[in-house]
Amino acid sequence: MKKITIYSLAILLVFSFVVSCKKKVEEAPPPPPLEPVQEEQPVVEEQPVVEEVVEEPVVEEPVLTEEEIFLQKTLDEMNAEAPLQMIHFDFDKYFIRDDAKPFLEANAEWLQKFDAITILIEGHCDERGTEEYNLALGEKRAKSTLDYLESLGISADRIKIISHGKSQPIDLEHNEDSWQKNRRAQFKIIGK
Amino acid sequence: MKKTQVFIFAILIGAGAIFIHSQQEVVLSIKDGMPVIPLAFPDFISQSSSQEIREFGKDLHQIVSDDLNYSRIFQLLPESHYSYIRPLNPKKIFFKDWESIQATLLLVGIVSESESKDFLFEGKIYDVKSSRFIFGKRYQSAKSLLRLVAHKMADEVMKIYGERPVFTSKVVFVSDRDGNNELYMMDYDGQNQTRLTFNKIIDYMPAWSADGKQIAYTSYRATEAGLYLYNPYEGVRKEVMSEGTNFAPTFSFNGKKLAFCSTAEEGNSEIYIANSDGTNIKRLTFNTAIDTSPSWSPNSREIAFTSDRGGTPQIYIMDAEGSNVRRASFGGSYHDAPAWSPTGDRIAYVSRVNQIFDIYVLNLRTNKIIKLTESNARNESPCWSPDGRHLIFSSNLNGTVQLYTIDYDGLNLKRLTSKGSNKLPDWSR
Repeated sequence: MKKITIYSLAILLVFSFVVSCKKKVEEAPPPPPLEPVQEEQPVVEEQPVVEEVVEEPVVEEPVLTEEEIFLQKTLDEMNAEAPLQMIHFDFDKYFIRDDAKPFLEANAEWLQKFDAITILIEGHCDERGTEEYNLALGEKRAKSTLDYLESLGISADRIKIISHGKSQPIDLEHNEDSWQKNRRAQFKIIGK
Repeated sequence: MKKTQVFIFAILIGAGAIFIHSQQEVVLSIKDGMPVIPLAFPDFISQSSSQEIREFGKDLHQIVSDDLNYSRIFQLLPESHYSYIRPLNPKKIFFKDWESIQATLLLVGIVSESESKDFLFEGKIYDVKSSRFIFGKRYQSAKSLLRLVAHKMADEVMKIYGERPVFTSKVVFVSDRDGNNELYMMDYDGQNQTRLTFNKIIDYMPAWSADGKQIAYTSYRATEAGLYLYNPYEGVRKEVMSEGTNFAPTFSFNGKKLAFCSTAEEGNSEIYIANSDGTNIKRLTFNTAIDTSPSWSPNSREIAFTSDRGGTPQIYIMDAEGSNVRRASFGGSYHDAPAWSPTGDRIAYVSRVNQIFDIYVLNLRTNKIIKLTESNARNESPCWSPDGRHLIFSSNLNGTVQLYTIDYDGLNLKRLTSKGSNKLPDWSR
């Protein structure tokens, strides 16, 4: 009898458990899905980038003048461009020839535009003079070039002169053409 | 062959005649009579068994012999003469022997081993007629200074006749052999060419001080061609004047003054003088024409220079204070680079005729002019030897510009340089 009691109690217990379980299942809300946060990407709200629009003053790209561009260069770069044209002289002479005057006028104009530039005028001679006399003659050529530029309004304070005599020919031939090329006053920018 | 020679000769005479015609004051080929002293100069005696010492003796003999031959004062007796007489015994000289072969002087040299140096050399000079020992010198030296020993001995022989030493003198000059115009110096015979400046800028127109210790020269730096004094033995440099173009320095013979050209004041070449240390600068010429190329008279009281105040470059002479200017060259349209001889009676200069530059010598006593160089070339920058018997100058005779020496009468043209181009020589005094 005792055995029957135990069995029946057990059955009852099981039954009651099943009933109670059934009840629970019905009553409980659906279990939250397992770790849904980890599997799903967080929802990012797609938003346009918003920036404040401010009316800024128009920045003018500094449009450099030709002058300013030139003045930014180094002296070597300037001289490589040779903005000042050399002039030539007659044999044994140092006066400014008529054909040299337009060049000097252009040079003076340029010097007026670039009024901070200082220059060196080098006087040169051809090989048909002695070393000693040519040094003096080259200086005369540089000086008369300076004087002419001064007469065109260029301050002599901006100009230095030097003579190289015949020591620096630009043409090494020995004929009238090359001699003419070598009898010259040439310009070098030495300050800005 | 002979015909060709005759033909060339005829052309030369023809050219000479044309030349005389066009330049009347020029007289060709005047040969001043110069006393020539017959000198017996037997081989040097070697008192050593060493082959090297014997070689030193041969070298010394050769160099002294070259020097004395160059001097134009001594005539070395031909070696063949020595075979007629007894061999030289330095302990007992038979002067009659030497007199019999026409010797006036006898130079005996002995080389032997030196205790401290590479060799010992003893040179003795005898007057043959009076059988008299005049003087002797003994040198102990390293073999590297063998040439100097020989030149010193030869200079001693010159001094007997009251001559200035020539063979130990130095020539300073400008060469571009290393790419840039720098200063070099060498012995009078072109040996021992040595570079002096390493500036990488142009160095120009050097001149020795009277004592041979300083060199005045022009150096181009940036915008200026300054004048500097440089002691090549101590490596010390000093600025004299840098404003403008400063050039053509020359020291007075008495060593006190330095004359040079500068364009500092008016952009025109004027002549200045200063003390020889570069201080106390004074202007001498005041002229809108070119004044250049000063050269001192040997008494240091006058200066010859070039000026184109008369229209063309001509040579003038003024007192060392700048007064009393008078013209010294006439005829011709281009005379420059006067060089006053140390003997005082001659001025060498460059004259340009039809684009050809030749060197002429004006004899101030006789007013006669000799043409020294005869070439279809540019001969420039004449400068006298210390004794006034030779000149050094630059010439493009063989294409490139090189240095040559020539005697006062146009004989013995000799080339001294070959590397690069070489110019603007100045012979130390």
